Amino acid sequence: MSTLENADQPQAAQTQTPPPNNSRAPSLEDLGLTPSQTQSDPQLQARLDKRAHMLKIHQRLGLITAIPMIASVATGFGAGGKGTSTSDRWAHLALGSVTGDLYFTTAYFAIFAPRIPGTQTRGPIRVHKALAWIHGPGMILTPILGAIAFDQKSKGEKVHGIASAHGAVAIVTAGAFGAALLSVSLKF
Amino acid sequence: MNTKFLIGLLFFAASAFAQADQQWILQQNTLTYHVSHPLHQSEGVSHEARGKGVCHQGQCDFLIAVPVKSFDSGDSNRDLHMVQAVRGAQFPLVTVRTRLPEDAGSSATVHADLEIQFAGQTAEYKQVPLQLAKDGDNFRITGTVPATLSDFKIDPPSLLTFPVKNEIPVRVEMTWHAEK
Repeated sequence: MSTLENADQPQAAQTQTPPPNNSRAPSLEDLGLTPSQTQSDPQLQARLDKRAHMLKIHQRLGLITAIPMIASVATGFGAGGKGTSTSDRWAHLALGSVTGDLYFTTAYFAIFAPRIPGTQTRGPIRVHKALAWIHGPGMILTPILGAIAFDQKSKGEKVHGIASAHGAVAIVTAGAFGAALLSVSLKF
Repeated sequence: MNTKFLIGLLFFAASAFAQADQQWILQQNTLTYHVSHPLHQSEGVSHEARGKGVCHQGQCDFLIAVPVKSFDSGDSNRDLHMVQAVRGAQFPLVTVRTRLPEDAGSSATVHADLEIQFAGQTAEYKQVPLQLAKDGDNFRITGTVPATLSDFKIDPPSLLTFPVKNEIPVRVEMTWHAEK
């Protein structure tokens, strides 16, 4: 390609013949690629497929979980306080239970998705994972506190003691869950 | 004595002509794919392509290969998902083959027919415009390959149930060095 050196003299665009299929054309062996870069790994592909499948379910269930979670928080404002009806509390309890079941099913698909060896976690997924340390314990604590509060209200008592933190813990949990969802959805 | 010298000279000349005229080695490269999603615009970059060009009888055959997993989008989760979606563990390399006329460098732009093997499929892109610029002993080549997911039978990955766009243009920036 000695005449390439005339490239600083622009000319009309050129066309060329189809890609080669001859013995002089370079081969992959000529490029000095390592076997680890060129060898097919069906087992890794199967692992990646399973991981992607599980994380897809995780993603969908996470979105679905957000619906009863929002409804639980909304009904929670009516379930507490002095003048609440029994039906409000039961509705809140039912929504909370559905949220909890969906949440832990969602978490299962993330926790048990196959890990890929040698992968260093980078990017928004780090925020997503870090927030799980807030909403995970929150989703354990919230129903426990809610059960205590429900029991106290059912006895005609004012919600007191540790159960009075139920609302605050639930809001922080829902906030962390929403932030986790957004962290992998929107580009910051 | 003169006869022997002439025979020797002819033999040397014949063997010299039988060899490839020139070889090109890919020295530096940046390959960038672009993916569009209603909520995201993301790019993955690789600098790990290897390439070689061999010229003979007025034509230069080029081969470029890049490991699929070498593309970095800054998000390890996305990168793993990309490798899965394009079957990158099963087909770990993207290879590009093309043939250019030996005097292609006399133009500022060359239109190349590219044969690309990716995700276990082969697609041909005709007349892809590539810009050439001389930089000392090197040549800098830039251009964009108008790749699409459907060309390689790749199911579009989705986020929040919205799939990415079919178009995944790949920006190519390469510096080739002549080896004599």
